[in-house]
Amino acid sequence: MAMAYNFHIIENCLKCAFREQRLFCDLPNDALIKLQNIKATSVYPKGALLCLEGQPPRGIFVLCTGRAKLTTTSAEGKSIILRIAEPGEVLGLTAAVSNTPYEATIETLEPSQANFISQHDFVNFVKEHPDVGLKVARQLTHNCKCAYGEIRSIGLSNSVPEKIAKLVLRWSEQPLPRKNPQELPIRVTLTQEEIAQFVGTSRETVSRVLSEFRRRGWLRIKGATWTILNKHALEDLVTT
Amino acid sequence: MNATMSSESVTTNELYSMLPPAVCEELKKHEQSMELPSGAPLIKHGVSPVGLLILNSGSVQISVPCPRRSISLTTAQKGKVFGMRPAIAGELPDVDVTCVENCKVTMVPRDAFLEVLQANPEIYIAVAKVLSGDLQIANRILRGSVRRYSAPRVRPQRPV
Repeated sequence: MAMAYNFHIIENCLKCAFREQRLFCDLPNDALIKLQNIKATSVYPKGALLCLEGQPPRGIFVLCTGRAKLTTTSAEGKSIILRIAEPGEVLGLTAAVSNTPYEATIETLEPSQANFISQHDFVNFVKEHPDVGLKVARQLTHNCKCAYGEIRSIGLSNSVPEKIAKLVLRWSEQPLPRKNPQELPIRVTLTQEEIAQFVGTSRETVSRVLSEFRRRGWLRIKGATWTILNKHALEDLVTT
Repeated sequence: MNATMSSESVTTNELYSMLPPAVCEELKKHEQSMELPSGAPLIKHGVSPVGLLILNSGSVQISVPCPRRSISLTTAQKGKVFGMRPAIAGELPDVDVTCVENCKVTMVPRDAFLEVLQANPEIYIAVAKVLSGDLQIANRILRGSVRRYSAPRVRPQRPV
């Protein structure tokens, strides 16, 4: 099995260990055999651009390993993080299906593997395999749900500490292995600037809020490992 | 509610305009017409609709409900199709859709729609386009949110 950037490249979707856990990838064998024929596997370093906002659609990317951020730009030139894509997600779906320009710039947050399928091949793939069509519909439904959740969050959150607490609590749903049952470690690869883009504030404010969380003994930050020391305190901060 | 065929819905909505005529005819057999007064809810957050709801006339307000208030997303006019996500994915609606004037609506029962979809799987692309339209509206709202801030745009690197 080939390796790159310290992870195994998943060459064969039929033999993928994560197949059943992922929304799009859990397809019947005949569909996966077809997928094998139309996909092009690539490995990207951190910071690689899979596509640019406004570019004509070339195809979709199935994110096999790693994570990516989806950013968009307002009319004033301000950059907004729409969401963070996790392994198993299909990216560029709206553009490929609607034949409209990519709505967001997709940039890898860490070394990642993505399978690219051209727009033409993907549309035919959906038409020929009803299971794929259903998966596509469910992925779009999931994306809508995330978007509406963000809209609700923007509309409700009253303060930056609350927004950051909410974000940290969301990340804590996928913790790292615990050594101490009282502590909840999570991996955070976003920079403070990216967190600022996510919650709608400045990097300086994010820095100040995190310092306050640390001072109060709620959070310990060591590089990309954040440890939640007092989850209840963070939960009390979230009023909406 | 009348169990009458609604010829208005054929080719005049965002779903049917992308479907082969034979599939439209198939869906027409199951259509039921409704008239809703201004202020009536078309879709309620957390309540699964009985099927696809096609707006034939009038306009509606789409909003995201929150504990103390609602966040208005957009208004929609004739041709908009609602209830696709609950029908396909079984998810409960995230939004409220309310008539802002008297509306005429065509309803296709969920089971009937899924039957037609199963018999004609090639229409999943049309379904995906409708769902993409909803997502594009949501992303437009997020993009326009005045509470977001960031550093000025940096010239992007060339894609790999």
